[in-house]
Amino acid sequence: MDGHNYGYNLPISEKTKMVPWEEKVRIVEEVKSDFRFKEYIFGCLNCGVCTASCPSNRFFDFSPREIVQRFLEEDVEVLYDMMHEYIWACSQCFTCWIRCPFVNNPGGLVAIMREVAVRNAFEATKDLLKPYGRVLLKVMTTGNQLSADMLQPDFFPDWGPKMADNMENLRAKRLAIPFDVGKSVKTAWEVSLETAIEMYTIWRETGIFEMLEKLDPNLYNVIMDIVEENEERYQELYGEEE
Amino acid sequence: MAHAKLESKWGYVSPGGILRYPEEPPFPVKEYDAHYDHIFEMMEELEAKGEILIHRITEEHQPIPVYTRTGRIKLIPTNKLWHHKSCGQCGNIPGYPASLFWFMNKFGLDYLNEPHQTSCTAWNYHGSGTSNPVALAAVWLRNMHQAWKTGYYPLIHCGTSFGSYKETREQLIMNKELRDAVKPILKKLGRLTEDGRIVIPQEVVHYSEWVHAMRYRIKELYEKEGKAKGIDVSNVRVAIHNACHTYKMIADDYPYDPEVYNGQRPAASTAVIKALGAQVVDYSTWYDCCGFGFRHILTEREFTRSMAIQRKLKVIAEEVKADVIITHDTGCTTTFEKNQWIGKAHGMYYPVAVMSDVMFAALACGAHPFKIVQLYWNCSHYEPLLEKMGITNWRELKKEWEDTVKYISELEKAGKYDELMEFFKEYDLYEPYSKTSTGKPRASATANMPLFKS
Repeated sequence: MDGHNYGYNLPISEKTKMVPWEEKVRIVEEVKSDFRFKEYIFGCLNCGVCTASCPSNRFFDFSPREIVQRFLEEDVEVLYDMMHEYIWACSQCFTCWIRCPFVNNPGGLVAIMREVAVRNAFEATKDLLKPYGRVLLKVMTTGNQLSADMLQPDFFPDWGPKMADNMENLRAKRLAIPFDVGKSVKTAWEVSLETAIEMYTIWRETGIFEMLEKLDPNLYNVIMDIVEENEERYQELYGEEE
Repeated sequence: MAHAKLESKWGYVSPGGILRYPEEPPFPVKEYDAHYDHIFEMMEELEAKGEILIHRITEEHQPIPVYTRTGRIKLIPTNKLWHHKSCGQCGNIPGYPASLFWFMNKFGLDYLNEPHQTSCTAWNYHGSGTSNPVALAAVWLRNMHQAWKTGYYPLIHCGTSFGSYKETREQLIMNKELRDAVKPILKKLGRLTEDGRIVIPQEVVHYSEWVHAMRYRIKELYEKEGKAKGIDVSNVRVAIHNACHTYKMIADDYPYDPEVYNGQRPAASTAVIKALGAQVVDYSTWYDCCGFGFRHILTEREFTRSMAIQRKLKVIAEEVKADVIITHDTGCTTTFEKNQWIGKAHGMYYPVAVMSDVMFAALACGAHPFKIVQLYWNCSHYEPLLEKMGITNWRELKKEWEDTVKYISELEKAGKYDELMEFFKEYDLYEPYSKTSTGKPRASATANMPLFKS
């Protein structure tokens, strides 16, 4: 049989089939070794309330019940296969968590699975996250994730003609906000240099830059240029004080 | 006033104790997952052991008690607040924070808004997986340390930051390995106390909880100033959308109240609308998410559009014919607003105004719809709502705002910066950086960077 014989409705991909069994076990064990794993999964009645209320289940072939069940059954083949595209359908709303009678947290399990997929630089992950580059650039370099100038009408044509109007003469419009929120155009608020430097330290110490380098080397290089330039400026400004 | 009853019956000053259970549950509560309340006892134990320092809510924060889902009483500080801004709100819906600041000015409250804050980075984590719990914890504790250092109590604007921070707090309290992993990083950043402890706030507080706690004062302002301007919200039909990350992440720690659906649904936002006297209309998909989905809003927009239109906008328009959807998170507001127009192409156009509780409340209290509530940035059809509320002069008010933009633009183009600065002195309602908490000269992470130069 091409797919799994019950539950998981997608056929196991050829790529997954070709991966050595030991590698699949290693990846699944990496998920299970996360300290949160034991806090996110307890037992499962297979009641399906999580899937019944899951927004992604309405529009994708995605089921939080399947995630929990496959972990309980230690179904390595399916779990490994899920970690390529399946898990990216989850909208991280955690409706599954609040509704589960056992307080399982399938959305939390997905978060761990995504993290492990990114850390291991799965090809599918690289492709899926390409359009996310602008957010990654902002968050890694400034600690902000969204700014006024990111809402360009050509990127969001489906958001309507009002978007184009909003973006015209953007700087003056942002300055006209009479509180010191949203006055900047390229960041949500002006982030102090000291704060950005602290952020870079956190990324370095926790392996996030490393994660990014594997995921998207070009984006990593652009980000590191900005990081290094800011670090030099910081040294020039405050070096003697430190 | 309901909260006065709460105060007199149960009290909220508990020397040396964080837990403040009522003697009996004020409404039917679920008990199976009340384990969450245990973390407050554990926080005290960790503090006694010298591992953490609890940033406590004191009288100067003018706290107001509210019930949470398990009947625990949570203190909501209302004064001397450190604004943990939201990148989505500031970047996309600036009327959100502006309305909040406007209320704080109206009530004469003290607050601090400074550039020494990162976002929580949780949107990135939920959307891309490119972070980890140690990094998330370090970012949170870094921001919380900054708030504590300034003497102001953190108020979290974003729903995802609020949910993520509550989750991170639980993880930190329950897992020594996480505390051990994050401490050396915080030490490097200079973000531990002098005796090497991490700073954890007594409560993680969302702005909607502040609005909830302040609802009777907001109502007084509406009676005094809004109504005097001819504003009347009693005919307005309001559909509430609760944000997933406020009440589904660490579900126990969010306000529930006997007066709102007998304590069976989140109380924040609904309660302030009820206090203002508008009509809260119920609809069958109230529990559904908006479809934001973190990465979906950017890269899987067909999902976001489908969810927003079919499960929410259509239902809200057809079942209850609401005039406005009230939200309390950036992602939801954006999703509902921006996904209305596209429905036109498929004969699924359900125009309904969308805004946050604090924006609606500010409008009711007479705030300028464009200068303060910044409706200019909102894409939904808010004009019929303004008419229904009695704000019939919105065209003149919009022109006033547009003239201001034009004036600023002309001064800038002509290089008249001195004149511009003079104008801002009068115009700005919050002096930029007047309260920046470090003595260091101001330096921006972005202002001089070619990639970010405005």
